Parts: sequence; structure tokens; C-alpha cells
Amino acid sequence: MTAADYRVTSSATWDYNCIAWAAGVTRGWWWPVPHDCDWPAAVSRQETIDAFLAAFATLGYTPCAGADREPGMEKIALYAREGVPTHAARQLPGGGWSSKLGPNVDIEYATLEAIGGGVYGEPIAVLSRPMPSADSPGT
Amino acid sequence: MNLPATTSPPAALVSAFQSLAEEWKAGTAFLSSTTAMIEHPSYRAIIALGPPVVPLILRDLEKEPAYWFAALRAITGEDPAPPEARGNFRAIADAWLVWGRSRGLLGV
Repeated sequence: MTAADYRVTSSATWDYNCIAWAAGVTRGWWWPVPHDCDWPAAVSRQETIDAFLAAFATLGYTPCAGADREPGMEKIALYAREGVPTHAARQLPGGGWSSKLGPNVDIEYATLEAIGGGVYGEPIAVLSRPMPSADSPGT
Repeated sequence: MNLPATTSPPAALVSAFQSLAEEWKAGTAFLSSTTAMIEHPSYRAIIALGPPVVPLILRDLEKEPAYWFAALRAITGEDPAPPEARGNFRAIADAWLVWGRSRGLLGV
């Protein structure tokens, strides 16, 4: 990925990581291990794709057909390398994607493939949930 | 476990730690996986430096809440972070800094 392929949208911080960012959280490092990281209480603390899918399922996300923008839906994408989860990204209202790069910055970019390869591996699942409406409880 | 008193650490140790810490941070700069951070060769090498490196790790924690916690637990056998701090690296770092100051490993 070249500098023309992404836009930096935050400062570097250890306050949250990519999984937390995809989950809509900016206070907390989400990872199943070790015990000092955040992880949904009801989900197995294992570095498996199933555990990560279960973690996002606690937020209402389920696997969907593809990465295209769907009106009324929020999407996230999970990356894995050699079968081990590595990264997650959050879809933007315009259809592009946003990622927190570990303890580094947030960036925005056009396609999931833009950050594929290398340390993150490839996108292996796209999940979606209905966008909360203005009338939803808690909004 | 005998932890070092607050005398200046040997220059060779400081140099080794700084070099390894830079390698670790550069090698894990974009990673969310704490497993990958812990398994990085430079992180393991820092753990292998043993108790004398603890004050240097704590001094680095004063600058930023980098994920040094597994290294500190491995070297010291202790874990001062309260369970409610889980995921909050600033709070965990603060717990370790309080622990370090109480043992004279850091300036007041």
C-alpha cells in the first residue's frame, strides 16, 4: 500500500486496538489472550477464527455475503494469516474502510485488499448487523 | 526474587535494552495481537535479561503504556494490575509504576 492509498485519521495510541475499533470501542485493547486484555466474558479466550466470530456475534454481527455497502447495515471485516486472526476493519458510511493499526494510527482506505497481504494476511470474513435507528433503545 | 536497587544500571544493559526495545516496537508497530508481541524475539531477549532490566522497562512505561506487562510478569513473578484494569493499558501501566516506586525501582 502506498501513501496515496490511505489517509491517517488519528494519532498513535495504546488505548485501543483494531478489534476494539471494529467493535466501536476506543477505550480497551481487545484480544483473547493473555488475561490482561479485554474480551467478551461469554466467549472462549482462544486465538481462533471461531472465537473472533463469536466475539463479534455478541455485538450482533453475523457473517454476510460480501464487502459491498448495504443501506441500513454496518459491516466489519476480519483478517487472518495462516488461520490465525490478525486484524479487523470497520466499514465507513461511504463504503470505504477504517482500521486501527495496532498501537499505531487509524487509517481510512478504499478496499479490504488495500491492507491485505503482509502481517495481516487476507480478509477471511465480512460480518454485518443492522444499523441502529434513531429510535432504538440506548440511542 | 532479588530486584536491583536504584543505582544506575550498567551502560551495556541500557544499550542492550534500548536496542531490543526499539526492535520490538518497530517489529510490532502495526500489530494488535499481544501474542505476537510477546513472541517477538526481541521481547523474549528482554525477558532473558532478567531482573536488572526491570527498572528500564518501568522507565519506558513512564513514557507510554506499551505492552511490557507480560515481560514484567515473567521476570518478577508478580502481577499488580487489578482485574478491573483488563484491557486498559494505561491503568495496568500505572499499577506497575506504583509497584516499581514502592520497591525503589523508579524515582519518586
